[in-house]
Amino acid sequence: MTELPQVDIDEVRRVMEDYAERGWTDGLPVMPVTESVLDEFLALTDLPPEEVLLAMPHLDRACTVRTAAINAAMAGCLPEYFPVVLAAWRALDLEGYVGRAIWQSTTGTAPMLLVNGPVRERIGLNSQGNVFGSGFRANATIGRAIRLTAINAFGLRPHELDQATQGNPAKYTACIAENEEQSAWPAFHVEHGFDAHASTVTAMTMRSVVHIEARHTTVPEQLALDLADTIRRTGALIHETISACVALGPEHAELFAGAGWSKDDLRRFVFEHALNLRATLAAVGKDAVSGQTRWRLSSAHADAVPDSVADQDQVKVLGSEQALQIVVAGAHNSGVSAVIETFGPRGGPPAIAPVEPAAAPASA
Amino acid sequence: MLERAGVPAVSICTDAFVVSARAMAGVYGMPDFEFVTIPHPIASLDPGAIDANVRRAIPDVVRILTGTP
Repeated sequence: MTELPQVDIDEVRRVMEDYAERGWTDGLPVMPVTESVLDEFLALTDLPPEEVLLAMPHLDRACTVRTAAINAAMAGCLPEYFPVVLAAWRALDLEGYVGRAIWQSTTGTAPMLLVNGPVRERIGLNSQGNVFGSGFRANATIGRAIRLTAINAFGLRPHELDQATQGNPAKYTACIAENEEQSAWPAFHVEHGFDAHASTVTAMTMRSVVHIEARHTTVPEQLALDLADTIRRTGALIHETISACVALGPEHAELFAGAGWSKDDLRRFVFEHALNLRATLAAVGKDAVSGQTRWRLSSAHADAVPDSVADQDQVKVLGSEQALQIVVAGAHNSGVSAVIETFGPRGGPPAIAPVEPAAAPASA
Repeated sequence: MLERAGVPAVSICTDAFVVSARAMAGVYGMPDFEFVTIPHPIASLDPGAIDANVRRAIPDVVRILTGTP
């Protein structure tokens, strides 16, 4: 029989129940945190504990390095994950939507983190099978660290300051790594100017992950049209245009790369083909935009003004090629991919922050 | 914010947002801040229904602005 450490489980349980009663949780049990645990996390960064990582001025609240560390520990992170958590906060700050109250919105978005570079292997981040699913401590707890901070540092509890109509499952945790090893294309961070030996975290604001089955084809145009059709769905349209991140399974990425398509070739093709006929938009009452909010509505509505391509019968859903990001993730075992429906900058560069471990580890 | 600057103000929200509105008022140190509430939803109403909601809300708006009990 395995020898387990001897502890007074009643004491541990009492502490965990106390945390739950105080509302310091996403509903699942959280790890108790002591000053000594906190010190282990803070030792792995050169940043001062009081440095602000992200502020929400409308709430007059901020997340500091210290509060990020406390919540990372509560989420079940190992101390060595903390530099990734810090990079995630940098990236979320850079992304811009979070500081402007998007986590309180009825839309119910969640942060989606993408990790690139050697840190993936160092801390055991999953980039392969079940990449959006459970089973990997680093993925599970890094994403959860962000959510617990939203609850505990910013007070964004459901039914209070979090007004999400339905939310989405990623509000527990959402952190994936790119499967760089099984991608023929440059890694996501390299594509955006980082060194291949650097590790980075990219932050997105996501609404949903839409599953794509395409096991039937070896024709790149067919597969790209399947992706484009998923992206253009009218239900995704609240604003005039949208943004998205395609998470290609390695098999699909290989299909494109093998046919000589670069990431930019795929991006261009999807940009051109992710469109709705104006009649399709009219049928769902989204063929114009509001003169006040620029949200889509029917051309029969009192506030309706023409959208910006009113002279065209084919209405693209992506405002620019840059509104589409492409990453490779998952197992190399079937023709499955996903579209991460994002919410936020519809063009421009993605929000990527480097992972910066402490210059001199405390143990050195 | 306007009230702090000395400008009488009244906030109107639909009944679906009362809990969040109270929570925000608490964040701003005004837990007893009074809201005018109107029925949810708004976004899908036609102009006639919006008008009707406004007419029903006006007495409360006037009452809060003028401070009459």
